[in-house]
Amino acid sequence: MNNSQFHRRWLPLLLSLPQLLLIILFFYIPIYMAFFWSFTLERPFGGGSQFVGMQNYLRVLTDTEFWMAAERTLLFMVTASSLAVILPLFLAVAADRKVRLAMPARNILVWPKGIAGASLGVVFLFIFNPFLGILAPLNDLFPGIWQPGIDGKDAFVMLVAAQVWSGIPFNFVILLAGLQSVPASMHHSAAMDGASAWRRIRDIQIPMIMPQLFLVFVLEFTESVTGAFGIIDAMTEGGPGGATTLLVYKIYVDGFKGYDLSGASTQSTILMILVISLAAFQFFYLEKKVRYER
Amino acid sequence: MKTKLFAATAVATLALAGAAQATDIEFWYGNTGRPEQAIQNACKLFNESQSEHSVKCVGQGGYEAGMQKAIAAFRSNEHPVLIQFFDAGTLDLMLSGAVVPVSEIMPDVDWSDYNVGARSYYQTSKGELMSQPYNGSTLLFYANMEQLGKVGVTAVPQTWEELHDVAVKLKDAGHACPFVTDAHPWRVLEQFSARHGLAIATNHNGYSGLDAEYSFNKGKVAEHLNNLYTWRKDGLVKLNQDTEAGKYTDAFNAGECAMMEGSTGSYGAAFKALGDKVKLAMAPMYEGFERHNTFIGGASIWVMKGHSTEEIEAAKAFLDFLREDDQQIEFTRMTGYMPVTMSAMKKLKESGKSDDLEFATAEMGVASLNMPGSEDSQGLRLGFYVQFRDIFKEETQKAFNGEQTMQVALDAAKKRGDELLRRFEQTYKGVKLP
Repeated sequence: MNNSQFHRRWLPLLLSLPQLLLIILFFYIPIYMAFFWSFTLERPFGGGSQFVGMQNYLRVLTDTEFWMAAERTLLFMVTASSLAVILPLFLAVAADRKVRLAMPARNILVWPKGIAGASLGVVFLFIFNPFLGILAPLNDLFPGIWQPGIDGKDAFVMLVAAQVWSGIPFNFVILLAGLQSVPASMHHSAAMDGASAWRRIRDIQIPMIMPQLFLVFVLEFTESVTGAFGIIDAMTEGGPGGATTLLVYKIYVDGFKGYDLSGASTQSTILMILVISLAAFQFFYLEKKVRYER
Repeated sequence: MKTKLFAATAVATLALAGAAQATDIEFWYGNTGRPEQAIQNACKLFNESQSEHSVKCVGQGGYEAGMQKAIAAFRSNEHPVLIQFFDAGTLDLMLSGAVVPVSEIMPDVDWSDYNVGARSYYQTSKGELMSQPYNGSTLLFYANMEQLGKVGVTAVPQTWEELHDVAVKLKDAGHACPFVTDAHPWRVLEQFSARHGLAIATNHNGYSGLDAEYSFNKGKVAEHLNNLYTWRKDGLVKLNQDTEAGKYTDAFNAGECAMMEGSTGSYGAAFKALGDKVKLAMAPMYEGFERHNTFIGGASIWVMKGHSTEEIEAAKAFLDFLREDDQQIEFTRMTGYMPVTMSAMKKLKESGKSDDLEFATAEMGVASLNMPGSEDSQGLRLGFYVQFRDIFKEETQKAFNGEQTMQVALDAAKKRGDELLRRFEQTYKGVKLP
């Protein structure tokens, strides 16, 4: 980069100012407010907020509902993000190998990325409807086997399916790009040495796309914690019986439906710390195992 | 957090755009669908009827969304003059310091003309109305007489015992869904307790102090919920998620279910779908209980603080307009909500129109609201009540799913509800219930 293009010191700052302003307005200020509120009892309409020290944290951390939501969040994170990376990995490997219909599949698979969580939820709700959806025939054979409106486990599975589906396209594109940059010469030499297709996937392709795999894992993990909101709100509203109330949805319900601004802020702060530690773990620990140079 | 700040910014922008003319005021409402059309219609008529004031009616897409936006707007001092809030948010608003009681700014109005049930829900302990009741609803019982007739039943059941017998007959005749409800606390807890003259919390549901505790986990309410549980197992009752239609009102309207308990506001759609096959009655009682008034549902209009005298004048003129008998009758005709004053109801009766099917819920609903009251059927003064409703739904849902017994569910809901009440009490430390 030629530094003389940026001879004025303020130009770079000026150019990034709009973005900075947005981040400050919609990220840092709210976070600061949430942090502040988490130490007070805040009245919804303002006025008379009082400092209560760690009371909110004590209340939240001793609340079994909070821990159940945290547990569900963790379960959702692990299942949904693993599937949302593994499935596109299979698809990408297939597309990379130029199996039949790889070309149209490559294009079509990107489309779902353009669908918002809420719309996605509505569509999946219909698909999984126990009376009309694709699993309805199953209910005719074994009555009561698929009841997402009654059985919490079924509802959870439904959410995971929707989340995974919405994660596939982006991860697919990233992984496919990684696979396509694997030098063909390596395939050829491995093939000449007698390595089977599976063997080449395991020993050459996967190790070579570790950086891409790491990226999609990190993104999926954080996305599954916060991004599930739209799907939950459209599909289950946290039910039945709270079985799909993940932390992000609980915070919304407490804060916006229950006017418990302090409790919601406290939980937001805790969730934020969780997500940051998770990302830190991934970067400081897992990333050490990723080799970028080829 | 982000959403909230965004809402505040959006609201601020809107308010700045609207601040050009001084006598323009805004009225925020939550209803959608047919009631929204009726509200817009009323605004249009008001603006055409005079030239001094102009009201801009802004839909918020739902009661809860309206409340959220109002909180954000009030905090950034961009709130409207008039706002419609729903029943469950009453206490939060009373103590908010963000509103002026309507009886304070309009002392000359005869507020005693409002229905008993409407007044007691929205008034202070001194009998001053905090807000002007607007779209009033209450709980009624709906029966599909064609389906009941097939098993030889010609009268709508009045008691739960009769209802149970009819449901058994229907089931024996092969009916898959005799009775449907969504088990929403408004229906199975609040309206149930009120008309049976029972309290759901101590201190007369919080009317005599913020240190109330929930008490519904014992006695008839608990028994009723256990009954619903058993009846569902026996195939007599279905919940939303058991129906093919997915929602209790849709299931009744589609003829999937023969009976339901529903708001007066559901009548419009039911009548459109089933015509005169639908018959209404007051919500069923258990034998041995004297019938009391039901609570008013729906919403009322609040005047928010911090506005100029001209704006308040405009707000008063609009409230006066909405209170007129003819306006109430027209609103009833368009929506299925009920007239909220006695004079409007009287005028409706005198006009002879109250027998029209369009007005079928009005007389029955008003009669239900005007049943003799008790100290426990005035209304609810329970903090964070909106959140409590969610807790109640969650816990009872777990019982219906078979994850826990109904008694465990009710005990858990009471415990979690009490925690909310204590925190509410602490949040509003030093504030006295008006």
